[in-house]
Amino acid sequence: MEELILKLKEEIIEVLNLEDIKPEDIDNDAPLFGEGLGLDSIDALELIVLMEKNYGIKLQDPSKGKEIFKSINVMAEYITANRTK
Amino acid sequence: MANGSPLTGGPHLETGGTAFLSDLYHRFVGDYPKFFKMDTLGKLGFLAAELLLKIRSESLNAGEVPAPREDRGVVLFGRHSSLRADTHFQASIQDRGNFFPSPSVFVYTLPNVTAGEISIRRKYTGESAYFVLEAFDARIMARQLLACLQDEVTQSLLTGWVDCRDDEHYEAAVMMLEKSAAWTEDELAEQLNTMFNQLNN
Repeated sequence: MEELILKLKEEIIEVLNLEDIKPEDIDNDAPLFGEGLGLDSIDALELIVLMEKNYGIKLQDPSKGKEIFKSINVMAEYITANRTK
Repeated sequence: MANGSPLTGGPHLETGGTAFLSDLYHRFVGDYPKFFKMDTLGKLGFLAAELLLKIRSESLNAGEVPAPREDRGVVLFGRHSSLRADTHFQASIQDRGNFFPSPSVFVYTLPNVTAGEISIRRKYTGESAYFVLEAFDARIMARQLLACLQDEVTQSLLTGWVDCRDDEHYEAAVMMLEKSAAWTEDELAEQLNTMFNQLNN
């Protein structure tokens, strides 16, 4: 799981162009949206694309993204349970 | 500024491509992470605006959120529109076997997003537009800008030529146009020409 969490952080930093942020700057339990990383709705769409592209997880209901992308830990757990790649 | 080099004196900056823009950001802004999500045209327009406002003593303190103002608009002009973002997006969807369109790239495939980014940062709720011209044309620009100043609310326009062909070829020259200056079309066209000609000197 730790390996996945690190990989996920690196992927998020890259696809969301978080240029001044390193993986160690991201708290595993901090909110990704609003506070914490302060991501927005376009970032949410990018994360949905990332899930499908890198992990084979297609979100049938994009509104579920709010729960799945709550934090790095929640995201990693969801990926572990549902990945097909 | 043009093509990765400043046109007036000042501190040493990285030259070349987008490194120059990043260096400008770190030196003169530094507190707006959303900058790195913008495409090259967006970064160019954003920085040109921030530097202009700094000169006008309208800089923001770190973390400061300005009060909304509806009396200021952002009206930009350019030639290549969002070409850089368009080609970037097209390249990203060329492979049918690996087809994953990027929302954050796609969102910049309209040049008016550049004006929008400035307005979002500064909470300007007035006019926001980007006009695509075949070439710099001070007369057309002056006419359009004076038309934008016709309504009773708009008092100033952050305006200028902000153009990006690709990551290595871009130029920006901006100014604040105040309604109170009561420009005629001839006077404004001359001023815009003077501003633009500095890019070629």
